[in-house]
Amino acid sequence: METKSNLYRKEKYYGLLFILPPVLGFIIFGLYPTLYSVYSSFTDMDGLGQMNFIGLDNYKELWSDELFHKSMFNTVFMMIGIPIGLILALLLALGLNRGIWGTTAFRVIYYIPVISSLAAISILWQWAYNGDYGLVNQFLDLFGIEGPNWLADKNTVKPAIMLMAIWKGLGYTMLLYLAAIQSVPKDYYEAADLDGANGWQAFWNITWPMVKPVTFFLVVTNIIGGSQIFTEINIMTSTGGPEFSSASVVFYIWQKAFGNLQMGYASAMSVVLGLFIFIVTLIQFRLDKSNQND
Amino acid sequence: MAKKKGLLSVAALSMATVLVLSGCGGNNESGNNGATGANAGNTGASNSGNGGKVETKELSFMFRGGTDEQKAYTKVIEKFEADHPGVKVKITVTAADQYATKLKAAITGKKVPDVFYFNYGDLRAYVNSGVLADITEQIEGNSNIDIANIWEKGVNLYRYDGNVVGQGQLYGLPKDLGPFALGYNKTMFEKAGVPLPDKDKPYTWDEFIEVNKQLTKDNNGDGKPDQYGTGFNVNWSLQSFVWSNGADWLSEDGTKVTIDDPKFVEALQYFADMQNVHKITPSIEDAQTLDTYQRWMKGELAFFPVGPWDMPTYEKLPFDYDLIPYPAGSTGKSATWVGSLGIGVSSKTKHPQEAAELVAYLTGSQEGMQMLVDAKVQIPNLKDMAATWAADTATKPANKQEFMDIVNDYGRSLPGERTYNAEWYNLFFTDIQPVLDGKVTAADYVKAEQPKMQKLLDKALEQEAKSKQ
Repeated sequence: METKSNLYRKEKYYGLLFILPPVLGFIIFGLYPTLYSVYSSFTDMDGLGQMNFIGLDNYKELWSDELFHKSMFNTVFMMIGIPIGLILALLLALGLNRGIWGTTAFRVIYYIPVISSLAAISILWQWAYNGDYGLVNQFLDLFGIEGPNWLADKNTVKPAIMLMAIWKGLGYTMLLYLAAIQSVPKDYYEAADLDGANGWQAFWNITWPMVKPVTFFLVVTNIIGGSQIFTEINIMTSTGGPEFSSASVVFYIWQKAFGNLQMGYASAMSVVLGLFIFIVTLIQFRLDKSNQND
Repeated sequence: MAKKKGLLSVAALSMATVLVLSGCGGNNESGNNGATGANAGNTGASNSGNGGKVETKELSFMFRGGTDEQKAYTKVIEKFEADHPGVKVKITVTAADQYATKLKAAITGKKVPDVFYFNYGDLRAYVNSGVLADITEQIEGNSNIDIANIWEKGVNLYRYDGNVVGQGQLYGLPKDLGPFALGYNKTMFEKAGVPLPDKDKPYTWDEFIEVNKQLTKDNNGDGKPDQYGTGFNVNWSLQSFVWSNGADWLSEDGTKVTIDDPKFVEALQYFADMQNVHKITPSIEDAQTLDTYQRWMKGELAFFPVGPWDMPTYEKLPFDYDLIPYPAGSTGKSATWVGSLGIGVSSKTKHPQEAAELVAYLTGSQEGMQMLVDAKVQIPNLKDMAATWAADTATKPANKQEFMDIVNDYGRSLPGERTYNAEWYNLFFTDIQPVLDGKVTAADYVKAEQPKMQKLLDKALEQEAKSKQ
């Protein structure tokens, strides 16, 4: 008896030892920076050394900061691309699931943007959007349409970046949908067939509900990712676009922290952004739960 | 069970939040790691080659630049190592646009390189917070370098007495000075039979428009011009017009945003009218800055700015070009800006003497400077060397003297660099597009923009006052 409990005790320590690295990693690289950033949001930290406690001043200033509002709006606006991307990806997945000729080749083609470096892709699209010689406008030219100078016009810069983000994420989303569709048991469709359901009814009553968990997962992760959009913007419109029309929140945070020596203020913005994401995600979980109870 | 699930999702949520919040820090971390990794590689290599030496003093040096510059500087540093036995230099180099972020991350992470480039606009911030070391003694006591032989204008950018830049102790030396001159396409003038511009007498604004109109042409007969007078980037060329008209962004004492000055409005309107009224630049649909650069290189523009860093590229242009002063506004005098990048020493360095020696070698020693000038990556820092360099009219551009005149005489610092940070100044350019497109008049624009910029400037002044405490 005694030896056994000894063994267990030892095992317990081994167990703790094994989970130590990730827990330590989380504390050092996750928890500590987070708490530090929350603390510095109440200071006038400049990133060079100075750090005085100034209470809620940063947050008060945020409240009336036009550029912060603008960048927040831009960030949310660019999320319009998320549902569009999901619908396109689902359609593609449905198409590929039909086993048309060359499915594997298409899967690879759609997945290439996903594994490419975002920086490289941003530079490529920056060329493609060039007003004069860009691929996009040359293509439009074939139909006699004179395209705008996408990235230099405040009305087109956001849709332009959105389009690129959709294109980039399409392969990943499609692959997840494809896997979900393929794991739907075939007998459901057979039963529906016997009951005389048409294709649309089968999709709406079987496929769509069955892939719903994937949709939920994608919406949640895409919104979290979309809130943090930065690289594309920093590369394609390095000053935040005409009249700050493409600047995202993270872009503005970066500008304040590393350009203008206002690390404390930037931290306050990231706290607000963090809370924003937390609340939005919380709402999504709630909605999902109430859906499941139906 | 339900409760447990709830807990789980809260945990997942907080993880998500944590990821967002720490995202920024995490990236910097990895950036630094990358740099250290690269350094480690270098160190390993240099140590193994130097196994016999007893004591090696190691300096880290961080700088930026294009490939040509990187090559040139690496060579000079090899020479420095050869001239200074026992000193090894670890190089960290980044592309130009990533440098500022990387340096700030290094400072925040308290891993400042021993010797590094910095923007002269950041001098006060770095001195007030104790990042930069005072190198007056080491430089003045160095027999290899004669500080009187370096441009005063350049050296003074790195003097600071705790209140005013331009006097006091030395916290760095200019890597180089970057005068922003105006170039013209000589071949195009000759072809069109337009008299060449006078290098000693700037155009008036009216003359400038007139000449540009003569050179804006439709050569292939498709009804649209394919050769234009010019195509300036507002970020870098508006300054010349504003200053030569007697206006500025900032008051003399650096506390007021003065863009609502009628002379400023006149200059801004003149700049916007080049495109919208006189049609001497590619139209809005036809071009943005990137394209005007390409058009100049293809020989489609008559006038375009030229910096010393452009010389190696422009040498291969399919046409002949030369430098002239910018057109002069109501003051009758030409104006433009001169940029600079400094090299300084970290206050935390273990080898202040050797670090300052490296700065001196790169910025003011005959042998180091000659190598850099020969590599054509910059204009000489040393007056005597510059005189010889400018006298050579055989290589393009012939009128190199214009660069020297800008440095010696009429070049100024960019307004954003005169203040603690440039946020207020950058806002001006962030919002400018409607004016350039002719949708908003210059007068309306400055009226709306001045208070916003003033607010940011006040904030910068407040930050500066705080950093001195």
